[in-house]
Amino acid sequence: MEKMRFLASVAAFALAMLPVTSHATIDTIAVDVGISVFKTMPIGVVPFAEKKSIDWIEEKPHLIVTRDANLSGRFDVVSSDKFDLPLFSKTHAKHYITGKVTPVGKLLKVECFLYASQTKDVMLGESYTVEQKDMRRALHQFFDQVIYRLWGERGVASTKLAYVSKIDGVKQVVVSDYDGFHRSQITRDTTISMMPVWMKGNAGLYYVNFKTHRPKLYSKTFGGVERSVFPQLEQTYSPAVNPKTGELLFSSTVDGKTDLYIGDPSTGRAKKFAYLKSNQTSPAWSPYASEVLFTSDRGGGPQIFAMGKDGSDLRRVTFMGRYNERASWSPEGDRIAYTSMDAGHMNIYTCALDGSDIVQLTSNAGNNEHPTWSPDGKLIAFASNRSGSYQIYIMRKDGSNVTRITNSGENTSPTWSFFYDDFKQPTKGR
Amino acid sequence: MKNFVKLAVVASAAALCLVACAKQQQPQTEPEAAPAPAAAAPAAEPNADSLAAEQARLEAERLAAERARLEAERARLEALINQIMSEDVYFDFDRSELTEKAKELLAQVGELLIKEERFTITIEGHTDARGTEDYNFTLGAKRAMKVKEFLIAYGVDGKRMDSVSYGKEAPKVEGSTEEAYSQNRRANFRVNIKE
Repeated sequence: MEKMRFLASVAAFALAMLPVTSHATIDTIAVDVGISVFKTMPIGVVPFAEKKSIDWIEEKPHLIVTRDANLSGRFDVVSSDKFDLPLFSKTHAKHYITGKVTPVGKLLKVECFLYASQTKDVMLGESYTVEQKDMRRALHQFFDQVIYRLWGERGVASTKLAYVSKIDGVKQVVVSDYDGFHRSQITRDTTISMMPVWMKGNAGLYYVNFKTHRPKLYSKTFGGVERSVFPQLEQTYSPAVNPKTGELLFSSTVDGKTDLYIGDPSTGRAKKFAYLKSNQTSPAWSPYASEVLFTSDRGGGPQIFAMGKDGSDLRRVTFMGRYNERASWSPEGDRIAYTSMDAGHMNIYTCALDGSDIVQLTSNAGNNEHPTWSPDGKLIAFASNRSGSYQIYIMRKDGSNVTRITNSGENTSPTWSFFYDDFKQPTKGR
Repeated sequence: MKNFVKLAVVASAAALCLVACAKQQQPQTEPEAAPAPAAAAPAAEPNADSLAAEQARLEAERLAAERARLEAERARLEALINQIMSEDVYFDFDRSELTEKAKELLAQVGELLIKEERFTITIEGHTDARGTEDYNFTLGAKRAMKVKEFLIAYGVDGKRMDSVSYGKEAPKVEGSTEEAYSQNRRANFRVNIKE
C-alpha cells in the first residue's frame, strides 16, 4: 500500500513537472492522499546573514519565511541558528532556506537561497533590492518560488484576502496580504459595507453597501472609483465571480422573494439565473465554472444544492442537520466547504460533491464561519469568535494547523484572492 | 447601534415632515404678501399707512395661527410616526410566520395607515445574529414581506409600502443571549410623508 502510494505520488509529481525542466529531488515530494492525511515536508530555516548591522522595523527575513512555511500547510519548519547537518538529517529536512541582507543606501539587498542540505547545492536563488517595508512581499515572492521548485505547484504566499473590518463602529471592506499584514481600507462609507469578493484578475472588488438603505452591489477597482453594479435591480447581494468569464452570480430580492441572477458587470446586463419556487442565495462556482452551488430554503431551512450552469441536473447536496449554508467549491474540484449550524453554533465542514464523506473541521471553539479556499486548494481561511471577538484564521483543508492572522477590532467574511497572474516560474539554481 | 438607527430614522422622518410642511406653506403665504405693498404704494392715501399696518397685523395673526396649526399637525404626525416606528413585530427563530401578537399590532398600524393617507412606509426585516449574512438577508426579506402581505390584506394600498431586508446587520440589541436574539428577530417601520 505504502509503495503504491509512493508510486502514485511519483507519477503525480512527474505529471505536474512535465512542462518544466527541473532536477528537483523527487523522493522528497509528499502528496496528500485523501482529505484527512496532510503530509508535510520538513524544511530548515536559518537566519539570514547581515552585512553591517540593520535597524529592523519589520520582522527579520527568516521569521517571515518561517511564517510563510507554517501558513502554507506544506512544510514543517526546522529552525536552526546556523547550518546544522546533523539536525537537518535527523529531522529529514532535505532542504533549507537562508540568505544575506546588505544595506544599499536606504534600501536593503536581500539575497535568498534554497539549498539542498546534503550537498549544499543552491537549488534556487533570488535577489531583491527593496525598501525595508517591501521586504515582506519580496520574501513572499521568493517563498512561492520555493514551493514551485519543491512541489511543482503555485503557492499562495503572494495572494491576498479581502474581508470586513469594523472601523469606528462601521463595517468596512479591507484588503490585506494573505498573512494579515499590509491591511488597506477599500471602502470609507458611513453605512455598512460587506460581502467583498474579488474581480477576475484581482483588479478590484465587488461588495455590498447600504447607502441607499438597502443592500446593493458596488464595484471598485484598486485605486479607482466606486460604481453601482446592476442598479436596475432591487436589493442585490451575495456576489460570486465566475473564475473563467468574470460574470457575476448574485442574489436579488424583489417583494420578499430572493432569486439568483447572472450578469455581466461590463455591460450592466443581468437576467434571472433560475426560476425556482424557493428562495436562493450564496451562489458559488465550480473551478471551471460549469456548475454552481447555492443555498435554497425549499425544505424550510437552508440546504445546499448544485446544478449545471445551464440550469440542468438540479440536486440537493446536504441532508445532515437543519442549517447548511454558504458552500464553496475547492479549487481542486473534489470537495465542498460549507457552514453548518448546530445548537446555535456555526461550524465549518467539508463534504464530497455528492454530500457524502462529511468532515467537521472546527468544533468547540465559538462560531466558525465563512470558509474561503486558498487558490492552491491547500488552505481554508474563515472567521471565528473563539477568542471573544471575530477574527480571521487560516487552517489546512483538513482542519489542522489553525493560525490567527488578525488581532484587533472585529474582522469577518474573508474571501481569498485568485492567483496573481504575474507569477514567474523560477530560474534554475545558480 | 439600534438607538443610532432609530434616531437617524426619526430625524429623517421629522426632516421630511418639515420639508413637506414648508413646501405646503409657501404657496399660501407668498401671493398674499406680494400684492400688499403693490396696493399701498400707488394709492398714497392718508390712511394707507394704518390700512397697511392693519393688513400686516392680520397677516401676522393669520401666519401665527397657521404656524400653530402646522406645529400641532406636525406634533400629531410625529406622534403617529413614533407610534408606528415603535411597533416592532417579532418572529420565532428561522421563521417568518406572524404570531398572534404580531397580527394585533399590525392591525393597529394598518388602521393608522388607512387614516393617514399621506404616509408611506418602508418595512424593514431583521434577523438575530446567528447564521450567515447571506441567508439572513433572505430571511429578513421574508419577514418584511409577511408584514406587507398582512397590511395589504388589512386594506392598505400595497403601493404605499416598500419592503427591505437588513439581515443581521442592524440589531436592535447587542449581545448573544436569547433575550437579545428575540429582540432582534423583528420587522420595523420607517415612515415617510407623501406630498
